Amino acid sequence: MNEADLQADATDRMLLERMAAGDRAALGVMYRGYHGRLCRFLSRLTRRPDVIEEVINDCFWIAWQKAGTFHGDSRVSTWIMGIAYRCGLKALRQHGDEPVDEDTVPQERLPSHDPGDDRELRDWLGKGLEKLSVDQRVVIELVYGVGHSLDDVAVIMQCPVGTVKARLFHARVKLRNVLPALAGEPARLKEGAP
Amino acid sequence: MTFTMDTNRDCARAWEAMPSVLQESASSEQNAWLMDHLAHCQSCSEDYAQQERLRLALSLPADIPVDPAVGLKRLLARLDAPVPKPVVQRVRNGWLTRALAAAVLLQALAIGALGARYWSESNNPAYRTLSQASAPVPAGALHVVPDATMTLADWNALLHSLNLQVVGGPNDVGAYTVVPSGAPATGAPTLQKLRATRGIRLAEPVASVP
Repeated sequence: MNEADLQADATDRMLLERMAAGDRAALGVMYRGYHGRLCRFLSRLTRRPDVIEEVINDCFWIAWQKAGTFHGDSRVSTWIMGIAYRCGLKALRQHGDEPVDEDTVPQERLPSHDPGDDRELRDWLGKGLEKLSVDQRVVIELVYGVGHSLDDVAVIMQCPVGTVKARLFHARVKLRNVLPALAGEPARLKEGAP
Repeated sequence: MTFTMDTNRDCARAWEAMPSVLQESASSEQNAWLMDHLAHCQSCSEDYAQQERLRLALSLPADIPVDPAVGLKRLLARLDAPVPKPVVQRVRNGWLTRALAAAVLLQALAIGALGARYWSESNNPAYRTLSQASAPVPAGALHVVPDATMTLADWNALLHSLNLQVVGGPNDVGAYTVVPSGAPATGAPTLQKLRATRGIRLAEPVASVP
Protein backbone atom coordinates (compact mmCIF):
# COMPACT_ATOMS: atom_id res chain seq x y z
CA MET A 1 0.00 0.00 0.00
CA ASN A 2 1.58 3.30 -1.06
CA GLU A 3 1.36 6.68 0.63
CA ALA A 4 -1.60 7.81 -1.47
CA ASP A 5 -3.55 4.66 -0.53
CA LEU A 6 -2.81 5.19 3.16
CA GLN A 7 -3.97 8.81 2.95
CA ALA A 8 -7.14 7.84 1.11
CA ASP A 9 -7.93 5.14 3.68
CA ALA A 10 -7.41 7.57 6.57
CA THR A 11 -9.89 9.97 4.93
CA ASP A 12 -12.38 7.14 4.37
CA ARG A 13 -12.15 6.09 8.03
CA MET A 14 -12.82 9.62 9.16
CA LEU A 15 -15.85 9.82 6.87
CA LEU A 16 -17.10 6.47 8.13
CA GLU A 17 -16.84 7.63 11.74
CA ARG A 18 -18.89 10.69 10.88
CA MET A 19 -21.44 8.49 9.11
CA ALA A 20 -21.71 6.32 12.21
CA ALA A 21 -22.59 9.49 14.11
CA GLY A 22 -25.36 10.26 11.59
CA ASP A 23 -23.52 12.84 9.46
CA ARG A 24 -25.26 12.82 6.08
CA ALA A 25 -22.75 15.23 4.57
CA ALA A 26 -20.06 12.58 5.15
CA LEU A 27 -22.29 10.05 3.44
CA GLY A 28 -22.59 12.41 0.45
CA VAL A 29 -18.80 12.81 0.22
CA MET A 30 -18.27 9.08 0.43
CA TYR A 31 -21.04 8.42 -2.12
CA ARG A 32 -19.59 10.80 -4.70
CA GLY A 33 -16.05 9.58 -4.05
CA TYR A 34 -16.91 5.95 -4.76
CA HIS A 35 -19.57 6.45 -7.41
CA GLY A 36 -17.24 6.34 -10.41
CA ARG A 37 -15.33 3.18 -9.47
CA LEU A 38 -18.52 1.42 -8.34
CA CYS A 39 -20.23 2.29 -11.63
CA ARG A 40 -17.36 0.81 -13.59
CA PHE A 41 -17.09 -2.23 -11.32
CA LEU A 42 -20.82 -2.94 -11.55
CA SER A 43 -20.85 -2.36 -15.31
CA ARG A 44 -18.82 -5.60 -15.50
CA LEU A 45 -21.85 -7.36 -13.98
CA THR A 46 -24.76 -5.66 -15.73
CA ARG A 47 -25.36 -3.13 -18.49
CA ARG A 48 -28.55 -1.76 -16.92
CA PRO A 49 -28.06 1.74 -15.45
CA ASP A 50 -31.15 1.39 -13.25
CA VAL A 51 -29.74 -1.77 -11.68
CA ILE A 52 -26.33 -0.16 -11.21
CA GLU A 53 -27.88 2.78 -9.38
CA GLU A 54 -30.00 0.43 -7.29
CA VAL A 55 -26.93 -1.61 -6.29
CA ILE A 56 -24.89 1.48 -5.42
CA ASN A 57 -27.72 2.77 -3.25
CA ASP A 58 -28.15 -0.64 -1.59
CA CYS A 59 -24.42 -0.65 -0.92
CA PHE A 60 -24.40 2.77 0.74
CA TRP A 61 -27.63 2.00 2.59
CA ILE A 62 -25.81 -0.91 4.23
CA ALA A 63 -22.65 1.17 4.74
CA TRP A 64 -24.76 3.83 6.48
CA GLN A 65 -26.40 1.24 8.73
CA LYS A 66 -23.18 -0.64 9.51
CA ALA A 67 -20.71 2.24 9.68
CA GLY A 68 -20.47 1.91 13.45
CA THR A 69 -19.57 -1.78 13.23
CA PHE A 70 -16.55 -1.28 10.95
CA HIS A 71 -13.54 -2.42 13.00
CA GLY A 72 -10.80 -1.61 10.50
CA ASP A 73 -9.84 -5.19 9.70
CA SER A 74 -9.39 -4.10 6.09
CA ARG A 75 -9.23 -0.87 4.12
CA VAL A 76 -12.53 0.98 3.91
CA SER A 77 -12.42 0.67 0.12
CA THR A 78 -12.12 -3.12 0.43
CA TRP A 79 -15.10 -3.15 2.79
CA ILE A 80 -17.19 -0.98 0.46
CA MET A 81 -16.30 -3.04 -2.61
CA GLY A 82 -17.18 -6.23 -0.75
CA ILE A 83 -20.64 -4.88 0.07
CA ALA A 84 -21.09 -3.73 -3.53
CA TYR A 85 -20.01 -7.14 -4.83
CA ARG A 86 -22.57 -8.97 -2.70
CA CYS A 87 -25.32 -6.47 -3.55
CA GLY A 88 -24.37 -6.84 -7.23
CA LEU A 89 -24.67 -10.63 -7.11
CA LYS A 90 -28.05 -10.29 -5.39
CA ALA A 91 -29.22 -7.89 -8.10
CA LEU A 92 -28.02 -10.30 -10.77
CA ARG A 93 -30.14 -13.03 -9.23
CA GLN A 94 -33.16 -10.73 -9.14
CA HIS A 95 -32.80 -9.01 -12.50
CA GLY A 96 -30.61 -11.35 -14.52
CA ASP A 97 -27.49 -10.15 -16.31
CA GLU A 98 -29.04 -9.52 -19.69
CA PRO A 99 -27.68 -6.32 -21.19
CA VAL A 100 -30.24 -3.61 -21.64
CA ASP A 101 -31.14 -2.53 -25.18
CA GLU A 102 -29.02 0.52 -26.00
CA ASP A 103 -32.03 2.13 -27.67
CA THR A 104 -33.78 2.35 -24.33
CA VAL A 105 -31.02 4.54 -22.86
CA PRO A 106 -32.01 8.20 -23.23
CA GLN A 107 -29.70 10.01 -25.61
CA GLU A 108 -28.99 12.79 -23.13
CA ARG A 109 -27.60 10.22 -20.74
CA LEU A 110 -25.06 8.84 -23.20
CA PRO A 111 -21.53 10.22 -22.87
CA SER A 112 -21.20 13.45 -24.80
CA HIS A 113 -17.62 12.78 -25.63
CA ASP A 114 -16.17 9.38 -26.44
CA PRO A 115 -13.01 9.65 -28.54
CA GLY A 116 -12.59 7.09 -31.28
CA ASP A 117 -9.59 5.47 -29.57
CA ASP A 118 -11.56 4.96 -26.36
CA ARG A 119 -14.50 3.51 -28.25
CA GLU A 120 -12.23 1.08 -30.03
CA LEU A 121 -10.58 0.11 -26.75
CA ARG A 122 -13.96 -0.38 -25.08
CA ASP A 123 -15.16 -2.60 -27.91
CA TRP A 124 -11.96 -4.64 -27.74
CA LEU A 125 -12.32 -5.04 -23.98
CA GLY A 126 -16.05 -5.72 -24.13
CA LYS A 127 -15.63 -8.56 -26.61
CA GLY A 128 -12.92 -10.07 -24.44
CA LEU A 129 -14.89 -9.80 -21.20
CA GLU A 130 -17.85 -11.49 -22.86
CA LYS A 131 -15.81 -14.67 -22.88
CA LEU A 132 -15.24 -14.61 -19.12
CA SER A 133 -17.41 -15.82 -16.27
CA VAL A 134 -18.85 -13.27 -13.84
CA ASP A 135 -16.25 -14.14 -11.19
CA GLN A 136 -13.40 -13.87 -13.70
CA ARG A 137 -14.68 -10.45 -14.88
CA VAL A 138 -14.88 -9.28 -11.26
CA VAL A 139 -11.33 -10.40 -10.48
CA ILE A 140 -9.93 -8.77 -13.65
CA GLU A 141 -11.73 -5.52 -12.83
CA LEU A 142 -10.63 -5.48 -9.18
CA VAL A 143 -6.97 -6.26 -9.96
CA TYR A 144 -6.40 -4.39 -13.22
CA GLY A 145 -9.14 -1.77 -13.05
CA VAL A 146 -9.31 -0.81 -9.37
CA GLY A 147 -5.80 -1.96 -8.44
CA HIS A 148 -6.63 -4.15 -5.45
CA SER A 149 -4.11 -6.73 -4.23
CA LEU A 150 -5.02 -10.41 -4.43
CA ASP A 151 -5.47 -10.44 -0.64
CA ASP A 152 -7.94 -7.56 -0.89
CA VAL A 153 -9.84 -9.33 -3.67
CA ALA A 154 -10.06 -12.46 -1.52
CA VAL A 155 -11.64 -10.36 1.26
CA ILE A 156 -14.04 -8.71 -1.17
CA MET A 157 -15.15 -11.99 -2.74
CA GLN A 158 -15.00 -13.88 0.58
CA CYS A 159 -12.91 -16.71 -0.84
CA PRO A 160 -9.35 -18.03 -0.42
CA VAL A 161 -6.48 -16.17 -2.11
CA GLY A 162 -5.76 -19.32 -4.08
CA THR A 163 -9.20 -19.13 -5.65
CA VAL A 164 -8.57 -15.52 -6.64
CA LYS A 165 -5.24 -16.48 -8.19
CA ALA A 166 -6.89 -19.28 -10.16
CA ARG A 167 -9.67 -17.00 -11.43
CA LEU A 168 -7.16 -14.32 -12.44
CA PHE A 169 -4.94 -16.88 -14.13
CA HIS A 170 -7.73 -18.41 -16.19
CA ALA A 171 -9.17 -15.00 -17.07
CA ARG A 172 -5.79 -13.78 -18.33
CA VAL A 173 -5.22 -16.93 -20.36
CA LYS A 174 -8.65 -16.70 -21.91
CA LEU A 175 -8.13 -13.06 -22.81
CA ARG A 176 -4.65 -13.87 -24.11
CA ASN A 177 -6.23 -16.29 -26.54
CA VAL A 178 -9.22 -14.20 -27.52
CA LEU A 179 -8.02 -10.62 -27.72
CA PRO A 180 -5.41 -10.96 -30.51
CA ALA A 181 -7.99 -12.63 -32.71
CA LEU A 182 -10.37 -9.75 -32.10
CA ALA A 183 -7.66 -7.38 -33.29
CA GLY A 184 -7.20 -9.45 -36.45
CA GLU A 185 -4.05 -11.19 -35.22
CA PRO A 186 -3.65 -14.97 -35.18
CA ALA A 187 -4.05 -16.51 -31.76
CA ARG A 188 -0.62 -17.18 -30.30
CA LEU A 189 -1.84 -19.80 -27.92
CA LYS A 190 -3.12 -22.99 -29.42
CA GLU A 191 -4.20 -25.88 -27.29
CA GLY A 192 -3.08 -26.79 -23.79
CA ALA A 193 -3.32 -23.23 -22.54
CA PRO A 194 -1.80 -22.53 -19.11
CA MET B 1 -1.28 -26.71 -18.47
CA THR B 2 1.57 -25.43 -20.59
CA PHE B 3 2.42 -22.64 -22.95
CA THR B 4 2.94 -23.79 -26.47
CA MET B 5 5.54 -21.18 -27.38
CA ASP B 6 7.37 -20.30 -24.21
CA THR B 7 7.53 -23.11 -21.78
CA ASN B 8 10.62 -22.18 -19.87
CA ARG B 9 10.49 -21.15 -16.28
CA ASP B 10 11.46 -17.53 -16.93
CA CYS B 11 8.40 -17.02 -19.09
CA ALA B 12 6.17 -18.55 -16.42
CA ARG B 13 7.82 -16.27 -13.85
CA ALA B 14 7.28 -13.28 -16.12
CA TRP B 15 3.60 -14.21 -16.56
CA GLU B 16 3.24 -14.41 -12.77
CA ALA B 17 4.93 -11.05 -12.21
CA MET B 18 3.01 -9.00 -14.80
CA PRO B 19 -0.04 -8.05 -12.67
CA SER B 20 1.97 -6.69 -9.73
CA VAL B 21 4.34 -4.81 -12.06
CA LEU B 22 1.38 -3.29 -13.90
CA GLN B 23 -0.15 -2.37 -10.54
CA GLU B 24 3.17 -0.76 -9.59
CA SER B 25 3.15 -2.85 -6.41
CA ALA B 26 6.11 -5.05 -7.38
CA SER B 27 9.53 -4.61 -5.80
CA SER B 28 12.15 -2.73 -7.78
CA GLU B 29 14.12 -5.98 -8.22
CA GLN B 30 11.08 -7.80 -9.60
CA ASN B 31 10.33 -4.87 -11.84
CA ALA B 32 13.89 -4.73 -13.18
CA TRP B 33 13.98 -8.49 -13.73
CA LEU B 34 10.76 -8.43 -15.76
CA MET B 35 11.92 -5.51 -17.93
CA ASP B 36 15.16 -7.35 -18.61
CA HIS B 37 13.27 -10.52 -19.55
CA LEU B 38 10.87 -8.64 -21.81
CA ALA B 39 13.82 -7.10 -23.65
CA HIS B 40 14.95 -10.59 -24.64
CA CYS B 41 11.62 -12.44 -25.02
CA GLN B 42 9.37 -11.42 -27.89
CA SER B 43 6.43 -13.57 -26.74
CA CYS B 44 6.38 -12.23 -23.18
CA SER B 45 6.86 -8.74 -24.52
CA GLU B 46 3.72 -9.13 -26.64
CA ASP B 47 1.89 -10.56 -23.62
CA TYR B 48 2.93 -7.62 -21.50
CA ALA B 49 1.84 -5.15 -24.17
CA GLN B 50 -1.56 -6.83 -24.25
CA GLN B 51 -1.81 -6.72 -20.46
CA GLU B 52 -0.94 -3.03 -20.50
CA ARG B 53 -3.66 -2.41 -23.05
CA LEU B 54 -6.06 -4.44 -20.93
CA ARG B 55 -5.27 -2.36 -17.89
CA LEU B 56 -5.69 0.84 -19.89
CA ALA B 57 -9.09 -0.32 -21.18
CA LEU B 58 -10.21 -1.32 -17.70
CA SER B 59 -9.22 2.06 -16.29
CA LEU B 60 -11.55 3.94 -18.64
CA PRO B 61 -14.57 5.43 -16.87
CA ALA B 62 -17.82 3.49 -17.07
CA ASP B 63 -19.63 3.93 -20.37
CA ILE B 64 -23.01 3.53 -18.66
CA PRO B 65 -24.04 6.97 -17.43
CA VAL B 66 -25.49 6.94 -13.92
CA ASP B 67 -25.98 10.37 -12.38
CA PRO B 68 -24.50 10.44 -8.83
CA ALA B 69 -26.58 13.46 -7.83
CA VAL B 70 -29.84 11.71 -8.71
CA GLY B 71 -28.73 8.51 -7.00
CA LEU B 72 -27.67 10.31 -3.81
CA LYS B 73 -30.97 12.20 -3.69
CA ARG B 74 -32.84 8.89 -3.88
CA LEU B 75 -30.63 7.37 -1.20
CA LEU B 76 -31.24 10.27 1.20
CA ALA B 77 -34.97 10.02 0.55
CA ARG B 78 -34.75 6.32 1.33
CA LEU B 79 -33.06 7.07 4.65
CA ASP B 80 -35.98 9.31 5.58
CA ALA B 81 -38.68 6.92 4.42
CA PRO B 82 -40.34 4.75 7.05
CA VAL B 83 -39.51 1.10 6.81
CA PRO B 84 -42.79 -0.80 6.47
CA LYS B 85 -41.13 -4.17 6.23
CA PRO B 86 -40.78 -4.86 9.97
CA VAL B 87 -44.47 -4.03 10.47
CA VAL B 88 -45.51 -6.53 7.83
CA GLN B 89 -43.13 -9.01 9.34
CA ARG B 90 -44.57 -8.45 12.80
CA VAL B 91 -48.15 -9.02 11.58
CA ARG B 92 -47.17 -12.15 9.75
CA ASN B 93 -45.16 -13.34 12.73
CA GLY B 94 -48.13 -12.70 15.08
CA TRP B 95 -50.50 -14.73 12.95
CA LEU B 96 -47.94 -17.47 12.59
CA THR B 97 -47.25 -17.53 16.32
CA ARG B 98 -50.95 -17.82 17.14
CA ALA B 99 -51.39 -20.65 14.64
CA LEU B 100 -48.40 -22.51 16.03
CA ALA B 101 -49.62 -22.02 19.62
CA ALA B 102 -53.05 -23.40 18.66
CA ALA B 103 -51.44 -26.39 16.99
CA VAL B 104 -49.29 -27.09 20.06
CA LEU B 105 -52.35 -26.79 22.35
CA LEU B 106 -54.31 -29.18 20.15
CA GLN B 107 -51.47 -31.66 20.22
CA ALA B 108 -51.23 -31.40 24.01
CA LEU B 109 -54.96 -32.09 24.39
CA ALA B 110 -54.77 -35.07 22.04
CA ILE B 111 -51.78 -36.49 23.89
CA GLY B 112 -53.61 -35.99 27.20
CA ALA B 113 -56.72 -37.80 25.94
CA LEU B 114 -54.66 -40.70 24.60
CA GLY B 115 -52.77 -40.88 27.89
CA ALA B 116 -55.97 -41.00 29.95
CA ARG B 117 -57.38 -43.75 27.78
CA TYR B 118 -54.18 -45.75 27.97
CA TRP B 119 -54.09 -45.35 31.75
CA SER B 120 -57.66 -46.54 32.19
CA GLU B 121 -57.06 -49.53 29.93
CA SER B 122 -53.88 -50.45 31.70
CA ASN B 123 -55.86 -50.89 34.99
CA ASN B 124 -57.98 -53.63 33.45
CA PRO B 125 -55.68 -55.67 31.30
CA ALA B 126 -57.12 -58.36 29.09
CA TYR B 127 -54.60 -60.85 30.43
CA ARG B 128 -53.24 -62.09 33.75
CA THR B 129 -49.68 -62.97 34.52
CA LEU B 130 -48.72 -66.08 36.48
CA SER B 131 -47.36 -63.95 39.30
CA GLN B 132 -50.68 -62.19 39.77
CA ALA B 133 -53.16 -63.56 42.31
CA SER B 134 -56.08 -65.37 40.67
CA ALA B 135 -59.60 -64.04 41.00
CA PRO B 136 -61.23 -65.06 44.33
CA VAL B 137 -63.31 -68.14 44.08
CA PRO B 138 -66.69 -68.04 45.89
CA ALA B 139 -67.10 -70.58 48.67
CA GLY B 140 -68.73 -73.80 47.56
CA ALA B 141 -68.10 -73.21 43.87
CA LEU B 142 -68.26 -76.26 41.63
CA HIS B 143 -67.15 -77.02 38.09
CA VAL B 144 -69.87 -78.85 36.22
CA VAL B 145 -69.71 -80.30 32.72
CA PRO B 146 -73.13 -81.18 31.34
CA ASP B 147 -73.49 -83.70 28.56
CA ALA B 148 -74.06 -82.31 25.07
CA THR B 149 -77.41 -84.16 24.91
CA MET B 150 -78.76 -82.46 28.05
CA THR B 151 -81.51 -80.00 27.24
CA LEU B 152 -81.50 -76.49 28.54
CA ALA B 153 -84.76 -77.15 30.38
CA ASP B 154 -83.24 -80.15 32.23
CA TRP B 155 -80.12 -78.06 33.03
CA ASN B 156 -82.23 -75.24 34.39
CA ALA B 157 -84.40 -77.61 36.40
CA LEU B 158 -81.35 -79.27 37.92
CA LEU B 159 -79.81 -75.96 38.94
CA HIS B 160 -83.13 -74.85 40.40
CA SER B 161 -83.59 -78.04 42.39
CA LEU B 162 -80.12 -77.79 43.89
CA ASN B 163 -80.29 -74.00 44.45
CA LEU B 164 -77.33 -73.38 42.19
CA GLN B 165 -76.59 -70.55 39.82
CA VAL B 166 -74.07 -70.22 37.04
CA VAL B 167 -71.37 -67.62 37.68
CA GLY B 168 -68.98 -68.53 34.88
CA GLY B 169 -68.42 -70.63 31.80
CA PRO B 170 -68.65 -72.51 29.74
CA ASN B 171 -64.86 -72.56 29.36
CA ASP B 172 -62.81 -74.22 26.63
CA VAL B 173 -63.79 -77.71 27.79
CA GLY B 174 -67.48 -76.85 28.31
CA ALA B 175 -67.31 -76.53 32.13
CA TYR B 176 -69.63 -74.17 34.01
CA THR B 177 -68.81 -72.64 37.38
CA VAL B 178 -71.81 -72.82 39.67
CA VAL B 179 -72.27 -71.59 43.21
CA PRO B 180 -75.08 -72.10 45.72
CA SER B 181 -77.70 -69.38 45.53
CA GLY B 182 -79.12 -68.06 48.75
CA ALA B 183 -78.03 -69.88 51.91
CA PRO B 184 -74.90 -71.86 51.36
CA ALA B 185 -75.62 -75.51 51.22
CA THR B 186 -73.37 -78.25 52.30
CA GLY B 187 -71.01 -79.08 49.47
CA ALA B 188 -70.93 -82.87 49.63
CA PRO B 189 -74.64 -83.70 49.09
CA THR B 190 -74.90 -81.22 46.25
CA LEU B 191 -71.82 -82.64 44.63
CA GLN B 192 -73.08 -86.20 45.01
CA LYS B 193 -76.49 -85.25 43.60
CA LEU B 194 -74.86 -83.64 40.61
CA ARG B 195 -72.68 -86.64 39.95
CA ALA B 196 -75.69 -88.89 40.26
CA THR B 197 -77.75 -86.88 37.84
CA ARG B 198 -78.06 -88.29 34.39
CA GLY B 199 -76.56 -85.96 31.81
CA ILE B 200 -73.79 -84.60 34.06
CA ARG B 201 -70.47 -85.83 32.87
CA LEU B 202 -68.32 -84.21 35.55
CA ALA B 203 -68.81 -82.34 38.81
CA GLU B 204 -65.83 -81.25 40.87
CA PRO B 205 -65.34 -78.68 43.62
CA VAL B 206 -63.21 -75.70 42.61
CA ALA B 207 -59.90 -75.73 44.39
CA SER B 208 -59.05 -72.32 45.80
CA VAL B 209 -55.31 -72.86 45.29
CA PRO B 210 -54.06 -74.51 42.13
